[in-house]
Parts: sequence; structure tokens; C-alpha cells
Amino acid sequence: MQKIKNQKSKIKIVVFLIFEFLILNSALAGELSAQLATKVNHDHIKIDFFYHGSEVNVSGASALGTDIVIKITSPEVRQILRRKGKAAGLLWMNVGDLEFASTANLYFLYSTQEINDILSQDEMDRYVIGYPALKKHIEVAQINDEDEKNRWFNEFIKFKELSRLYAISFGQIILNQTESGQNYSIKLNWPYQATPDEYLVTVYAVKNKKVVEKAEARMVVEQTGIVKTLANMAKNNGAVYGIISIVAALAAGFGVGIVFRKGGGGH
Amino acid sequence: MDLMYFYLPVAMTSINIFYPIGLGLAVGILSGLFGVGGGFLMTPLLIMLGIPSTVAAATDSNQIVAASTSGTYAHWKVGNVDFKMGFHLLIGGFVGGLMGVQAIKILRAMGNADFVIKMTYVLMLGIVGTYMFIESLQGIKKKSKGHGSGVKAEKESAIGRLLKSLPLQTHYEKSGVAHSALIPIVFGGFVGILAAIMGVGGGFLMVPVMVYILRMPMHVVVGTSLFQILFTCIEVTFLQAYTNHTVDFILAALLLLGSTLGAQIGTVFGRKLKGEQLRILLAGIVLVVTVKIVLELTLTPELLLSQAGGH
Repeated sequence: MQKIKNQKSKIKIVVFLIFEFLILNSALAGELSAQLATKVNHDHIKIDFFYHGSEVNVSGASALGTDIVIKITSPEVRQILRRKGKAAGLLWMNVGDLEFASTANLYFLYSTQEINDILSQDEMDRYVIGYPALKKHIEVAQINDEDEKNRWFNEFIKFKELSRLYAISFGQIILNQTESGQNYSIKLNWPYQATPDEYLVTVYAVKNKKVVEKAEARMVVEQTGIVKTLANMAKNNGAVYGIISIVAALAAGFGVGIVFRKGGGGH
Repeated sequence: MDLMYFYLPVAMTSINIFYPIGLGLAVGILSGLFGVGGGFLMTPLLIMLGIPSTVAAATDSNQIVAASTSGTYAHWKVGNVDFKMGFHLLIGGFVGGLMGVQAIKILRAMGNADFVIKMTYVLMLGIVGTYMFIESLQGIKKKSKGHGSGVKAEKESAIGRLLKSLPLQTHYEKSGVAHSALIPIVFGGFVGILAAIMGVGGGFLMVPVMVYILRMPMHVVVGTSLFQILFTCIEVTFLQAYTNHTVDFILAALLLLGSTLGAQIGTVFGRKLKGEQLRILLAGIVLVVTVKIVLELTLTPELLLSQAGGH
């Protein structure tokens, strides 16, 4: 319990991570340069025994009049998923694997307004913002037909959204005008389904359908305590882990049997 | 932090603790009642709770070790475990399991393993469930009419002549039957092959083999089946933990909290029911599961993609 209290207090500490200022539009550079900043509180999420997801706040400052787009992604990997199809023309079952390359296990996108209203498709493609851009970015191995690729990409998004690992929404970012520009902030429910990894938070300042500035921060999700010990043992010391699991199960079975002994009897 | 939720380190997901405890209790009761491990019920339900299929199957084996220990102990106390028969079935089951694993490897190489697995599942569950249901219903009707089992006696004598002509005749005192030791070994092997192909413990197949082929009394069948399942699941748990790293100890602990208790409750209830009543209940559950699998196979699934691993 002490450990949990310590962790709670740590959560409250706001940590500034990386401030990265990039000027992307030379025409607007004079009035917007170096105004976008971002910070993530609770940038180090610890998965302990009672972990059931977390709350993450992303906030910062940007130039007045810009829209904000926040993208959170895990590193890109190759994901192999089971594909269901009709066997013998009538029965649904797994009929093979599909490989999705250059995909993030987690992809969250938040914007101040509907994304198509504030960014051109070219800009979205350039920064891989939104599902149409993601579709162009992802490779589905062994599928060359465009219709088939569309079909399986849509299934991939459906699978990820149901797993709470992909989400796109707008209108949740709060903007507050300040003397020097504006502050933005968003409170997110971090899903427990997000696996331990290092996640990249990218904030885009957007104006006239173009990205004018970009800032990044990183957040780490890692297992800790007994969760970490058990996960490591299961992975690296399978024989010992297996024996412990069996002995514990045998002991529990006998234990309950002995407790019930007095209640036993013939029939 | 929410004390109602535990994070599962191998499944890498969080779960409300009441779900696995409740599920364990329900399946444990079935285990104590019928002598089945309950894997054919538990694994799909765990997947529905968001547990990856490979972790669900492996962890289920781990909790069955606890439930079957509890159940075997409860049945042993009242003299319902035939250890000699159990050992002979185990020898066959072990060899059959190895053969089944090889068969799956060949089928996977041929690319139609999933089709064979699903078809085996539906056919075995359907046939066993239907036969057991009809037979138990007839048994109950006959008893209520007060008739003896003349036809059954005739059938027994025909099968009995065939079985008695085999070598290694052994008397199984606890079951009150005499068979060639080859019979439980061969049928144990047959169940072992099917269980390995289907990825289940095989309790729902072993129980009918003991009742209808080995002619053991129903209450001894339940205890002996649990004893055999215990050893099968110890082997499976170790292999899964060692080779696939898919046993989630925390999930198994939550499941076994319910299942060990459930096995004791099931044993107590089982003593109050007659053999035919037990068999017809088990047949009903097996048939419901069969219908569920058939629906899954024929209705368009909500998701066409799933995590790789398991079947």
C-alpha cells in the first residue's frame, strides 16, 4: 500500500520532458516561431498489481489562432494477425495470417476541430495523421488488390478500436487565450490494454490547413513490482515458473480439500 | 487504483477479480459433479473476458490442476477413485497425446489444421452429447417404469465376450469390473489423440468411455476421471509454461479460488444425484456447447481479425 501511495504522489508531479521546437512553415515563421510547447504529466506510467489504466494530461502553449492536433503512437512494428474466412465455402474459421507492416500498436489522435476541416489531405499524409493517411502508410503483406487492402485495413482498424488501442476524436482539447498566445490541454483515459512501451506524443500547431509547428514528448509505460517479477520469470525462466504454478495449484487444491474434510462423508 | 481489478502480468490486461472467481466457481462445480476439467467451457469464456487465446488455454490447464486436486481428494475420501484404472488410462492418454501432437504438426504443415480441429470438436461433442442424452433418458424412463435392463444385459454379454478374449485380464476392485488392461490403455490413447488435436483435457470424452465401454459405476467414473485429468493438466501446464510462456499465474490463482471451492460443492451435489441424472445434465451441457460452436462456425463473425496464436 505504501508503494501505491508513493506512486500516486509521483503521478501528481508534473514532469517536463522534451521541448522541441520546429519551424515548418517559413511564411509563418516570423509570427509563430518557437511558440509551440508541450508537456505530459504522468509521463512514466507504472503497471503494478492494481493497475487498471491511468489518466494522462497533455498540455502546452501555442500561437494564438492555431488549431491543435495531438497524436500519440507506439513504435512502428510488424503485426501478424489471424484472418478469418469461409472454409469449404460455408464455415467461418481461421484461414491464415495477415501481416501488417509499419503499424503502431497504439494510435490516438485528438484535434480541436474535425481533422478534415483544419488540415489538407497532403499534410495529413505527410505527418501520417488520420486513418486515410495511415492506410497509405501501412503495408498489408501478400495483398496487392486495392479493394482487398481497403477491406483488411478497415478490419484492422475495427479490431484495434475494439481493443481500445486506436481512437480518433475531436473537440476534447481545451483552448485558453493568454497574453502571449493560447494554452491547450487535454485529459486522456490511458487504456490498460496499452502494453509496456515508449510512446511518442506529437503535438501539431495547424493554421490555414497546414502544420506550422510541431513539438514532441515521450512517455514510458512499464511493469513494476510483482507484475514485473512474474512477467520476467514467465518469459526467462519458464521451467521454474511452471513448477511454481503447478505446486501452488496442487497446494490450493489440497488446502481446500482439507478445509472441507469435516464436511465430507459417504453417499 | 481500483482494488476490484488485478493486472495480469502474462495476459497483459486488467480484470475485475469477480469475473475469474465466479467463472472458476461455476466450472469447479461442473468439475466436481461430472468429472470433467471444464476446459471446453472455461477457455472460450476467458477469451470473451479479453484474455488472449493462448494464455486462456494454458492458464486454464493450471487452474484445472487445482480444481481436479480438490475434486480427486473429495472423491478419494469417499472411496470413489479407481487408481489402478486411472493409471492404465493415463498410460494410454500419455501415448495418445504424443501421437495427437504429431498429427497436429502434420495437419498444420498441410494447411488444414483448423478445419480438422473444428470438425473433430463438433462431431465428437455432438455424437457424445447426443448418445449420452438418449441413453440417460432411456435409463431414467426404464427406472421410473420399474423395468430391469434386459437389453443392456444382452449387449453387455456380447461386448463382454469380446473383451474377455483379450490378454492381460485385470480385476479393477474399486470399479467392480474385470477387463484386459489393454482396454483402458487403448481407449485412453484414443481420447489422448483427440484431446491433443482439439487442445482440451478430454474429460468429456473420457467420462463416456468409462461409463459405456469400461462399464464403471458413475460415481467412480467421476473421481477416476478427475484423477486422470489432474496428471494430464500437470503435464500440459508445465509444457505451456516452459515452451510457450503463456501461463498467467495471477489469473490461475483467481480462477482456482473459485474452482477448488466449486469442485467441493459439485462433489457434495453429485452424491445427491443418480448416475442417469448426472449423465443427462452433462449431455445437456455438451450439446449446448456444440450448438454454440456450430453457430460460431456459421454466423458471420463481428471481427475478421484476431491475435495470432491458439485456435
